[in-house]
Amino acid sequence: MAVEQVYSVKDFRAVCNQILETAFAGVTVEGEVASFKVNQGKYVFFDLKDDEASVGCFMMKFALRFPLEDGMKVRVRALPKLTDKGRFSLTVQAVVPVGEGSLKKSFELLRKRLAAEGLFAAEKKRPLPEQIRKIGVISSTQAAGYADFCKILNERWGGLEVFTAHTQVQGMGAADQIIRALDYFNERAMVDVIAIIRGGGSADDLAVFNDEALVRAVAGSKIPVITGIGHEVDETLCDLASDVVASTPSNVAQLLTKDKRLVKQELRSDMERIKNLFNSRVDEMVAENRGEMAKIGREICARIASEQSELTGIVRALAELNPEKVLARGYALVKGAWRTGGEIEVVKQNEIAYAKIREIKERN
Amino acid sequence: MAKSINEKINELKTGVEWFYSEDFKLEQAAERYRDLTALAKEIEHDLDGLKNEVKVIEEDFSK
Repeated sequence: MAVEQVYSVKDFRAVCNQILETAFAGVTVEGEVASFKVNQGKYVFFDLKDDEASVGCFMMKFALRFPLEDGMKVRVRALPKLTDKGRFSLTVQAVVPVGEGSLKKSFELLRKRLAAEGLFAAEKKRPLPEQIRKIGVISSTQAAGYADFCKILNERWGGLEVFTAHTQVQGMGAADQIIRALDYFNERAMVDVIAIIRGGGSADDLAVFNDEALVRAVAGSKIPVITGIGHEVDETLCDLASDVVASTPSNVAQLLTKDKRLVKQELRSDMERIKNLFNSRVDEMVAENRGEMAKIGREICARIASEQSELTGIVRALAELNPEKVLARGYALVKGAWRTGGEIEVVKQNEIAYAKIREIKERN
Repeated sequence: MAKSINEKINELKTGVEWFYSEDFKLEQAAERYRDLTALAKEIEHDLDGLKNEVKVIEEDFSK
């Protein structure tokens, strides 16, 4: 007859935990949060329940990456354990909200808190560098959004170096991978800009981009960050924390590059404009020279006219002084020795008289 | 060292601005226009030929 194994309470608990660990190396459980509380600012307790059961949960506050409240539906990744008091509990490693209502609630709570800290402040936003040569991309290389990004990038511009950090972009663990990729680029300072890319998905799929630690890492990046997460209607906290938000992964490529087709058009139009300008400058100069010549001609004519008029005046004045003209008016010209007894000639217009001066007297 | 496309585009823009500036001289304009046309063609050729280089980093970010 087999001897029944007798355990101390402590050993029994240890054996149970061993069995639980073997059976559930890690378990994911979904349920509703109840009796949520934080003790001493670092220990988090809550119950996870559904209509028929409830289980106590414990976790460290630093592992809590989304704000929780009673009534929120969550998914936890945990290790099941028996506590010292013999109570069954889940030691939670990670927890994420699930379902539209819980995600929205968690999003709003965290948005308010981080906004109050200034993480989303407009004055923190940096413009994209003017000349981008090296781009760090954080995305899943299998994602459709990444393929769209590469396609548009290659269509628009060339000569860029793109370094892609392949990470998960949804699910538990994705946020930590993206944070490591951000650290990788920041530690090496090897790129001009970091692009976080993920195509469209459900609110649950995109929830990773509302992870508090990830949002803080985006806001704290030394290198400017552009996000292209989901579709135009989707907004995540990473979008609010990044320097530039693109509506989609394709839009990230559009914002990071010029379109070479437009650049070519601009070049052609620039050349056309300066050709026209050159021609019009030539026409202007010809017209200017014509104007100048006409002006000089006018000045010469005016000077000639003025000199002609001056000359006419002189000629007229000289004519007035002509003695013949005086004689014609009936006057006579007296020449000779003007003294008593002197001989003189009296010249009129058509006659000359020779005479002797008998007497000279003063006129009254 | 070879100039990048952006450097060439900036050079072209500076050249175009000269035509609008007070430094414009008719005697130099024809030669400058010829040089800029050649530069514009070179830029178009570069734009058509340059490809992006995409490298996936080997680091495992899941650990």
